[in-house]
Amino acid sequence: MQLASKTYDANDISAVQELYHSSGWTDGLPIVPPTAEAVKACLDWAMMPPDQLIGIEPVRGLAITAEKLAINAVMAGCLPMHFPVVITAWMAMMQDEFLMHGATASTGGCAVLVVLNGPIRLELGASGTFNVLGNSDRATAVIGRAVRLCLINLMDVRPGVIDRSTLGHPGKFSYCLAEDEEDSSWLPLHEQRGVERAASAVTVLAAGAPRQLMNEWTTEPKEILETFAAEMRANLRHYSIHPGTYALIIPKQLREHLQVAGWTKTDIAEFIHERARIHRREWADVGKGAVVRDRGDSVYPAMESPDQLLIVAAGGPAGGFGAVIPPWLGHKSHAVTLPLGVCVDCEPPK
Amino acid sequence: MTFRVLDPTTEKAPPAGILAPRLDTLEGKTIGFISNGKEGTKGFFKHLDQMLRDEYGVAKVVSRSKSNYSAPADKHIVDEIKGWDAVVSGLGD
Repeated sequence: MQLASKTYDANDISAVQELYHSSGWTDGLPIVPPTAEAVKACLDWAMMPPDQLIGIEPVRGLAITAEKLAINAVMAGCLPMHFPVVITAWMAMMQDEFLMHGATASTGGCAVLVVLNGPIRLELGASGTFNVLGNSDRATAVIGRAVRLCLINLMDVRPGVIDRSTLGHPGKFSYCLAEDEEDSSWLPLHEQRGVERAASAVTVLAAGAPRQLMNEWTTEPKEILETFAAEMRANLRHYSIHPGTYALIIPKQLREHLQVAGWTKTDIAEFIHERARIHRREWADVGKGAVVRDRGDSVYPAMESPDQLLIVAAGGPAGGFGAVIPPWLGHKSHAVTLPLGVCVDCEPPK
Repeated sequence: MTFRVLDPTTEKAPPAGILAPRLDTLEGKTIGFISNGKEGTKGFFKHLDQMLRDEYGVAKVVSRSKSNYSAPADKHIVDEIKGWDAVVSGLGD
């Protein structure tokens, strides 16, 4: 296997770190040295030659090859078994509906949320329980980081260069989680979005930071969900009025109240769609009266339709918490779900 | 221990975000504006248009707006750029 990338010699591990940091090739944290041996191991695992074309990124039309993704994946700390997930996430991000240009360059400062479903979670040890939106496990940490390093190095998505984020958020280091399918009676996210349950899948969403909420004082589904809807209304008021793909992270404690009462993900989405909406005049309550104009009575739902809601069963077993993950720019960038697999002769499914 | 490590960049791509060479003068030039279409661009580009003509002798200002402020400029706008001496873009929110 012949790699095409330019090589550099560094005398020791410190010299490697300084080379990569000074070249602008990192996220500020130390990297794993991407040696030919480590990169080839990733490519072998994915059964791909180095020049395998993963896609043409839709901003500057650059060819994204397996070799370059593998180099960045190694740098992020990925083992070979993590690499197919990075490939699939990138294939999903390169779909038109994701709108990679805006999602990576916007002042809005979103990150790429990556949700893992199916058997791959168990193979990788991706945990969907404790600290799920933080440093929950090795697999999700390094996969999320790899997605970001690839953006930095393959598309110049560096702060102040292509990345024009005003604030950004901590998810830009790594923003990946697995659904806790084993401890949930709901359809997993990938099945809800049309992928066979037995398959593994990756869902990507251009997303803002999680908005954590708490309601430990009821077991009534509508009251629990009203707290989620209120958080979404807050986002509509304080951030963006545009409807789009929101994600709800529902940990076990609140999830069990909903499941015991027979609420499915579809039921939840329909309820949330009805409740998570505001009148434009509410913008005047939060200092945005200048843009209400004569449309104060217009109603703005958080989603265009219930099926835009991504509901993920995940989080530690105790605590009446949940999270709303808002879209970066809902009506222009959409979530994309792709099954995991090597497909060298076909287009990825839409 | 010596490490031989690999370049993580595309290598072939031109670096992003490099500004074009400055013009010697704006006198008699054609300047294109590419607005992202957001609300705040209207007043800004109107004022800049007038300033370039009145104070700098710009011959012509061509104003265009992107159809989607979060996506690259539409192809028909990009195709027009070669007819301009300079372009003002990436501004306005």
